[in-house]
Formats: sequence, C-alpha cells, structure tokens
Amino acid sequence: MKYTAKALKGNVNVSRTSPIKEFFILLSGVLGIVILVYVALGFAVDFVVSRLPLEIEQNLGSLYSGIYVNTEKTGAGIRLQKILDELVEKNPLINSRQQEEPEYKVHLVPHSQANAIALPGGNIVVFSALIKEVDSENALAFVLAHELGHFANKDHLRGLGRRLVLLSISTALLGADSSVSNLIMNSLVNVEMKFSRRQETMADIWALDLLNRRYGHVSGASEFFENMSKKEKRGRILYYFAIHPYPEDRINALEDRIQKKGYLEKEKIPLDKVFEDLPVKPAGSGK
Amino acid sequence: MEQLIIFVILIGLGYTAGTIAERRHYRSIEDRELRFLNLPAVTVKNVLSRDDEIFKAWLVSGNVVISIDYFKRVLAGLRNIFGGEVRAYETLIDRARREAVLRMKESAHGANIILNLRIETSAIGQSANRRKSIGSIEAIAYGTAVTLKKTE
Repeated sequence: MKYTAKALKGNVNVSRTSPIKEFFILLSGVLGIVILVYVALGFAVDFVVSRLPLEIEQNLGSLYSGIYVNTEKTGAGIRLQKILDELVEKNPLINSRQQEEPEYKVHLVPHSQANAIALPGGNIVVFSALIKEVDSENALAFVLAHELGHFANKDHLRGLGRRLVLLSISTALLGADSSVSNLIMNSLVNVEMKFSRRQETMADIWALDLLNRRYGHVSGASEFFENMSKKEKRGRILYYFAIHPYPEDRINALEDRIQKKGYLEKEKIPLDKVFEDLPVKPAGSGK
Repeated sequence: MEQLIIFVILIGLGYTAGTIAERRHYRSIEDRELRFLNLPAVTVKNVLSRDDEIFKAWLVSGNVVISIDYFKRVLAGLRNIFGGEVRAYETLIDRARREAVLRMKESAHGANIILNLRIETSAIGQSANRRKSIGSIEAIAYGTAVTLKKTE
C-alpha cells in the first residue's frame, strides 16, 4: 500500500454560520415566549386579584407585615392613625359598600428612606424619614391617601403577583441561577416598572380626589413631591429605571387634575408637634 | 441593571477574545498539519505484511484541554431550550481533537506511521459535573508509533 500525503481542503466538522445571528434569533425566541407567558399570567393575576377573598388577603398581610404590626404605637403613630381613619371615612369604596374593606392600619417605622408602602391586609407602613419631608397635615394625608389608592386599585396584590409570575417563569425555564435567566429578569424588570409607574400615577389621582373629599380643598397634595424634587439629584434619564415617576411629572399630573376638576386651594393644617424629631434609624440592630 | 451591563460586557469580551483565540489556533493547527503530512496516523491495527519489517514500536499520546468562551456558552445555553445542532460547540471539539492528534505526532519522533489511533474526549473543569453546562473539554489522542526497518 502506497501512502500519498495530501492536505484536506475545508472542514466539514465546523458549520460556516454566523454565531451572532444564531444568538439573536435564539434570544428573541426566548424573550418572545417569556413575554407571552408573562402577559398571559399577568392577566391571570389581575383575574385572581379582583376576586381574592379578604380573609386570604389578611393572611397574606400577616405574613408580610408581621414585623411592622408588632411595633409599639407612639404618640406620632396614634396621630397618624387618626389622620388615616378620617380619610378612610371618606373612602368612596366604603360608602358605596361595593366591596369588603379591610381594617386599615398605619405603622410608623424608623427608617432613613422617605417612603411609604402598602402591604396586603390593609397595612400601610410609613418610614419616619418621609415625615421630615412634609410640612403640613394635608401633605401627610395625601401620602396616606396615595397608599389607600393602591389598595383601591389592588396594586399591592398585583405587584406581588406579577413579581411572583416573573420569578417562576425564569426559574422554571432555566433554573435558579443561570446567566440567561438573569438577562431575562433584568430586561423584564424595566417593563414591570412601567406598570408600576402607571399605578403610581393612578394612585396619585385617586388620592387627590379623596383629599378633596376629606378637607374640601387640595392644598398640600404636591408638597411632598415638591420637597423631594428640590432634593433630587438624579436626572430625568436615570429616573427611567426608578419605580416611581419623576417628581416633577407627578406634580404636573396633579396640577392637570386640579384644573380639570376645579379643586380649590386653601389654608393648610400645620403638622402636629408629635411629628417633630422622629428617629430615622431603627432602634435595634438589623431592620 | 448592573447585572445586565456586566452580562453584556462578558458576552462582548467572550466573543472578541474567543474569536481571536480560535482564529489563531486554527492557523497554527493548519500550519502544523501541513508539516506533519508525511507522518500518517491511521486507525487500522496492522497495515504491514510482515512483522519483521518493524524496527521499533512504542506508545505515543497527546492531549489538550480547551475551554469555550462565555459567548458560546450562553449561545449553547439558549440552544438547549429549543434543541437542534449545537454549533457553538463544534469548533471546540474540532480544535481539541486536531490539536491532540498534532501533539501526539509531535511526540512520535522518528516514527514512519502511527497505527491504531484512538481519540477520546471528556468534560473537565469546575463546571463539568454540573447539569447543563460544559466548561472545558479534554481530548486525548494515542496510538502506536512504528519505525520501519530500512529495506533495500
């Protein structure tokens, strides 16, 4: 047998295709499926949320707000609860008896972040730093009314539901810690935030109407946002990624509504003495 | 957001570095394959008519470990969802196999032919035992190097 040395031309074992093209085709396929499932399950969440019995919601609430509920009521906490109770009396949902309403409770928690959150079961948590940003009772009432607006629109449950849907999709598809699932997670979080911002604006409008019903005027409604926008160092571009709308945009939306409805501006009620010098740091260690 | 930025940077880095390394490696493989063209490596056990033609026979082996870049790993991960040819791994296997054979030939000084060539691959590295992930592969090529007696 005679051996003839001959070099092979080409390579049949390696496909001559563009990996970049393949990458984008596959990626858009995955994203397409995820968005489809997300939207479908999002509708499912909306369906469940509007039919969730109050009892289940309260059970959920005790899971979430257990750490806040057990905090001791201070003078400021009691005063805050009174402002809330007076607002709740004017809540249109209660008056029309359209649906069962939970007992709304407000918890004042020492925290350095100026924020308030609505938790399932009618619990509102107000961080003490927020009170430093307002100068009148009206403004504080608006913040509480805003959270009541979230309850009225069931946003507190919707937010939980959608986040749950998001998490379950990516883990079911790709496992808990895969780089692909991280990518999907990150790209969808921005979509999620747009939902949130629409909800924030809706809650603002709802709160404005309630504020007018309670005090007969709407002074102080945009006070918190005005104070925040003065302090706000971040630009509008960075705000694209934030959950809450840009403070100035919120002020503008409120002013539009005030003009449209012809709401009045009157003297504001000054903030009670008990709200002065609240601690902004948690007393113990941790949260 | 930071995670997304890091991910995109890793993908870009993986693609650029991976493509450069792959191109360079193929160039080197092709050069050396030409150089060793006169040393055939065959899978048959016996091509010789008589045993007394053999002057010397010994075992030669060559092995290499090659890893894929981050970009291809993600690409293969995406391919895992839909199924089909995992083209991202093709060059990895091809390079490892050819490099192992070349190293084997390099170690066979003075041989006229390498008989009974075998090639084996295995997944190694930290992620080798984890589900659904291939970190790097090892290819080992071994065979019997044979030096023939001078005839005439």
